[in-house]
This record gives sequence, structure tokens and C-alpha cells, in this order.
Amino acid sequence: MKEEFKIAWRNLWRNRRRTIITSASVFFAVFFAVIMRSYQLGTYDHMINNLIESFTGYIQVQHVKYQDNPLIDNSFDYNDSLASAISEIDKVVSVTPHLESFTLASSGTQTKGAAVIAIDPVMERNFSDPESKLVKYRITDEAVTRLKHAGAIPDNVLEKVKKNLGRSFSSSARLELELGLADEDNENCMPEILKCTEVSNGFLTANDEGILVSDRLASYLKVAIGDSVILMGQGYHGVSATGIFPVRGIIKIPSPEIDNKLIMMTIPAAQKFYDAEGKITSLVVNLTGKSDRVLKTVKAKINILLPDNNTVAKTWYELNPILYQQIQGDSQSGQAMLGLLYFIIFFGIFGTVLMMVSERKREFGVLVAIGMQKKKLKRIVTIEMIFLGAIGLVCGLLASIPLILYFYFYPIVLKGDLANMMEDWGWDAIMPTAWFGPYFYWQAVIVAFMVVLATLYPLRKIGKMKEIEALKG
Amino acid sequence: MKVLELKNVNKIYNSDEVKVHAVNDVTLDFAEAEFAAIVGPSGSGKTTLLNLIGGLDMPTSGEIIITGTNLSKLKSSQLIDFRLNNIGFVFQSYNLIPVLTAKENVEFIMTLQKWPQKERDERTFELLNAVGLGDRIDSRPSKLSGGQQQRVAVARALASRPKFVLADEPTANLDSKAATTLLEIMEKLNHEEKITFIFSTHDPRVVKMAHRVITLEDGKVVSDVKLE
Repeated sequence: MKEEFKIAWRNLWRNRRRTIITSASVFFAVFFAVIMRSYQLGTYDHMINNLIESFTGYIQVQHVKYQDNPLIDNSFDYNDSLASAISEIDKVVSVTPHLESFTLASSGTQTKGAAVIAIDPVMERNFSDPESKLVKYRITDEAVTRLKHAGAIPDNVLEKVKKNLGRSFSSSARLELELGLADEDNENCMPEILKCTEVSNGFLTANDEGILVSDRLASYLKVAIGDSVILMGQGYHGVSATGIFPVRGIIKIPSPEIDNKLIMMTIPAAQKFYDAEGKITSLVVNLTGKSDRVLKTVKAKINILLPDNNTVAKTWYELNPILYQQIQGDSQSGQAMLGLLYFIIFFGIFGTVLMMVSERKREFGVLVAIGMQKKKLKRIVTIEMIFLGAIGLVCGLLASIPLILYFYFYPIVLKGDLANMMEDWGWDAIMPTAWFGPYFYWQAVIVAFMVVLATLYPLRKIGKMKEIEALKG
Repeated sequence: MKVLELKNVNKIYNSDEVKVHAVNDVTLDFAEAEFAAIVGPSGSGKTTLLNLIGGLDMPTSGEIIITGTNLSKLKSSQLIDFRLNNIGFVFQSYNLIPVLTAKENVEFIMTLQKWPQKERDERTFELLNAVGLGDRIDSRPSKLSGGQQQRVAVARALASRPKFVLADEPTANLDSKAATTLLEIMEKLNHEEKITFIFSTHDPRVVKMAHRVITLEDGKVVSDVKLE
């Protein structure tokens, strides 16, 4: 075998330029395929984190009719022991109860339809963490005037601040990002900007009777912290649900669609409001593993724990079929692109093989003539082909690792129209890469498959070779 | 002792509805340590005959028996092994393995035969010294002249002590001096190693040194002269 490896390795470098070009084509194909796929999967993960981990969760326990008919009538009794039992299942991170319904929200002359999500403020920290979404900075006319009077703010910075008039931010980092100041301006002006735009805010306590209002809804209703909002709707089994709720805090939701209509309150307050004592509409389950296998396993285990046939566990893709199909469709088009890339590269490799066989026909004939078995010759050619693919594959994978690591920890932050568009879809406007997973190792399988496919040709040629004809060249 | 027998060997090529009788009813035998030349004009069937003897091609009819083994009875893989263990080849255009050094080329057949490394080294140095290339063992074929390459090819052909060596126009691409040197080396090795050499050639220098000259015309043996 050592001799075969030696000959194969030396053969590889007989035509150094051709080997380098072929390896380079494999290298670039692997490198771009890994990076593209990593970005694509990273974006899906991010989207799932944004929408799934903050709203639907990976698995939900619901009343069997709730998904088709999301009314409070299709709620079920909350049971602490069920939640505890689900928490014990391997890979389950948190189990959080939700009571969700709709209402009309009114303040003064303004009225608007709103979605109510009732939560346990303590348990919810492990799930959507609404506290982190509280508005901390707001650019108002007042704030701009204060900045002007502060005197130390250059005009160009002030202009950038004014461009964001009316906007709210739940973190200084987001404000910094949206202003997009030069490094020097950022260092000199940010402390003052943060000081002038900072707003006070509050959160719900465990049995709070107040509400959190999303930023855009609060603007529409013209309410601030301490104001009251009247909610009117239909409660459990058609009872009239009305109440007046003090605003404890304003939250900023990245998705404008949700930011326009969200009200959060505690579960006891909502149960009282909707006259749905002890009821919830969903138990939201979050997991550590995100694979299909984990989802199916946990779902099956939860279904065993459910006390009756009125409740059922559903995975996030059963709960969000449109989003799931969107991801699947996008993923498949991405894979088709990679397929096309590899298809082109395959012909590059195959071209090299064709030339190699054509150039070395006579040599193959000599080797068999002097006593080398064809199977040994086939092994040498196979090893040569493996080297050819492996050089590009290994280099491509190695080169992609630092980029994947960097953009995993420091994702590309999008700005401008693209960022706005992504926010409209409900995503944070960042593009992270995906952590190393099957997509990474699959490149090796694909390249191996291409090499095997390309190797079939010389192997067949050697198998059918007649020494006398091969010796003529 | 006969090492090779050809009995009524025929080779007919059918191309474009034209039959070419390349080898016509040839019956010959060769003894151990012969130094024989097959001569004849172009197209007389020399190379075809050599290919048949070497098991590179199969006769249309007749038998080729080498040390008691009938070549036509062997399967493809058995034939390759038979060539490996019994026949050495020297080609007109050297046909060394370009990625191996002179030493590795000579060693190659012995590696295929799984000789121990020590014995391979000893035999390789012995042969390369015998062909006057003891100082070029690490040179690749591209760094050697035509004459030197052909000497490496002869060393390779003799490496595993075959029953006989088939050399197809071994001097055709060599200048006069290189050709003479090569022939002297082959004659010396024939004498020392007791290995039969069969050449196909046009070269009068080869004919002059041969101990037996077989003349072919239109695929037929027209003369078979032993010169000793």
C-alpha cells in the first residue's frame, strides 16, 4: 500500500498546474458552499430564535381545536404537575404557560384591536424575556432639544439623531447601531445622547394587575407609563370581558406587525379579565436541541404525559406551517444553487480525469504489461483521485472555519432598507453563520461522491484495457 | 532446456474486411540463455510475434508454451502474474515510470513480487552498477539520456530474474555509442545471469552480436540461423 500511495502522490504532481487548478476549483466550491450554507442555516436559526423562541416555542401543548380556532373557549386547565413532568424530559429547557386572546384596547378617543399574551413574569424570563424588550431610550423632540442645549453635539450628529425622531430602543447597542456614528463621534457623543434619550420604564410583578403595551400600540393609544387602558372583549364561553388596566411598561418588539398590537399581562389578571379561572391556552416548551429527531422525541414523550385527548403537543413547524414552508423552500433553492456549483466543479474534476486517462493510456498499458495487476493499478488511480479531491476539500473546510467562527460570534449587522425589510418580517437585522453541523460534514460526502463518480471512468477504462492497444498509446 | 515453444502460431487481424496474416504458422523454440534476434522488414510480423510471446496478445491459433505453461489457458489476471514472474520487457521507447527514480523503477517489479527490502536493494544496486548507472540511482527518467533510460529499462527487465527478456527494437532510439554500450551490457548479463534474450530489430549491430537470427517475411519464418 505504501508503494501505491507513493506512486499516486507523485503522479498527482506530474502536472502540477493542472492539479492545483483542479484542487483550487474543489477548494472554492467547498469554501463557498460551506459559507453560503452556514449563512443560510444561521439565518434560519436566527429567525427561529426570534420568532419561535420568543413566541411559539419549539413545542406547544394546546387544546386540540386551538390552532384552527384560537379562541379562549379552546383553552385548557393549567396543571403545575404537568409542567413539572414536561420539565423533566431530556432537552427541555423551559415550560412556560401562556393565555392568549384578543381584545379591544382603548384610551381617550383612540381604540384598536390588540393581541393579549398573558404570562408568568418570572417564568417568562426563561422564555421570551420581555423585560429585555422594555424601551430604554426614545428619541423625542424633547430629547433633541436637550441635546441641542447640551452644546457638545456636532450638527452632523444631531442630524442623524433627528432622522430617528419618534423611534424607541430597548438597548444602547441598538440605538448606537441605528445612529451609525463615526467612531470618534460615537465615543464623544454617545454618553450624552444616551443620557438625553433615556426613559424610565417598569415591569410586571407576579400578580400584577397592570399591563405592558408594545411601543407602537402605546404611541397609537397615546399612553405612557402610569396611564390606564380600557380593554373590552369576549371572555370564556361568551361572557363580556371588560377592565381598566394601568400601564406598567412599554416594550419594543422588533417585528413592527407585533409591535402595533401587543399587550402583555399576568396570567391571573388575564384569567380574571376573561373569566377563565385556572385556564391557559398553551404551555410553551423550549428545547436545547433543535433537530427534527429531538422535536419528534420530545413531542411523543409530552403526548404520553397529557391527561386526556383534549390536549395535544405540536411542534413549531406544525404551529407555523407557512414559516416552515418558507424556510424549506428557501433551503431547497439554496441547495439547488450549491448543486449547480458542485455540478460545474464535477465537470472540472472529470475533465482532469479525462486528460489524465488519455495522457497515461500507454503508461497504464506498460504497467500491466510488466506485471501490475489491474486491481492494483485501479487502487493507485483511486488513491490519486482521493488525494485530488481531499486537498481541495480539506483546504476549503479549513479556510471556512475561521470565517464561520468569526461571523457566528460577530454576525453581520444589516442596516438601511434591507434591515428594515428584515425587521418587517419580524427578524433582528443580523446575519449570523450557523455553528458546525451536518451541513459542514456533508461537503466531504458530496466531494467524495463527485470523486467516486469521476473515478468510475478511469476504473472502467483500466478494467477494459487491452495491453496491446494501450501500449500503442 | 527449452524455455519457450511456439507451435503453429498464427495471428490474423481482420480490419475493414481485409484479413492480415501478421504471423503465419510459426513454429519455434528457444533454449535457456539464448541471445536471439528476430529480424525482417517493416510489417513482417516481428513486433506481433514478440507481443504473442510476451502474452500481450493472443494467437488466433497455435500454442505458446513457456516453461510448460500454455499461455492461452491462462486467465487475464493469471497471465499478468505469469508475465511478472517469467518475462522481462524492454520497449523501444523505454517506458520507465516517470514518477519513480532509476532505483525505484528497477525495484518496481521486485516490489510487485513482494521481495524483502534488503534483497531488493542488493539486486537493484547490483543491476544498476552492471548497466553503469550506479551513480544515477536517484535520478528520475526525465533527468537521464535515452541510452541511460534504456539501460535502466534493461535493469528493470532483469530485476526479478525472469526466464527470458523480450526487447522490441531496444536500440532504435539510441545513438551508435549508446546502442553499442547497451548491447554489450545485455550480452554480459545474458552470459552472467543465464537469461534468454529475444530481440526484434532492424539494427545490424544487434544482428551482429546475436547468437541466433530468425528472419521473418510476411509473418513466416524464412530462416533460423544459429551463429555459434
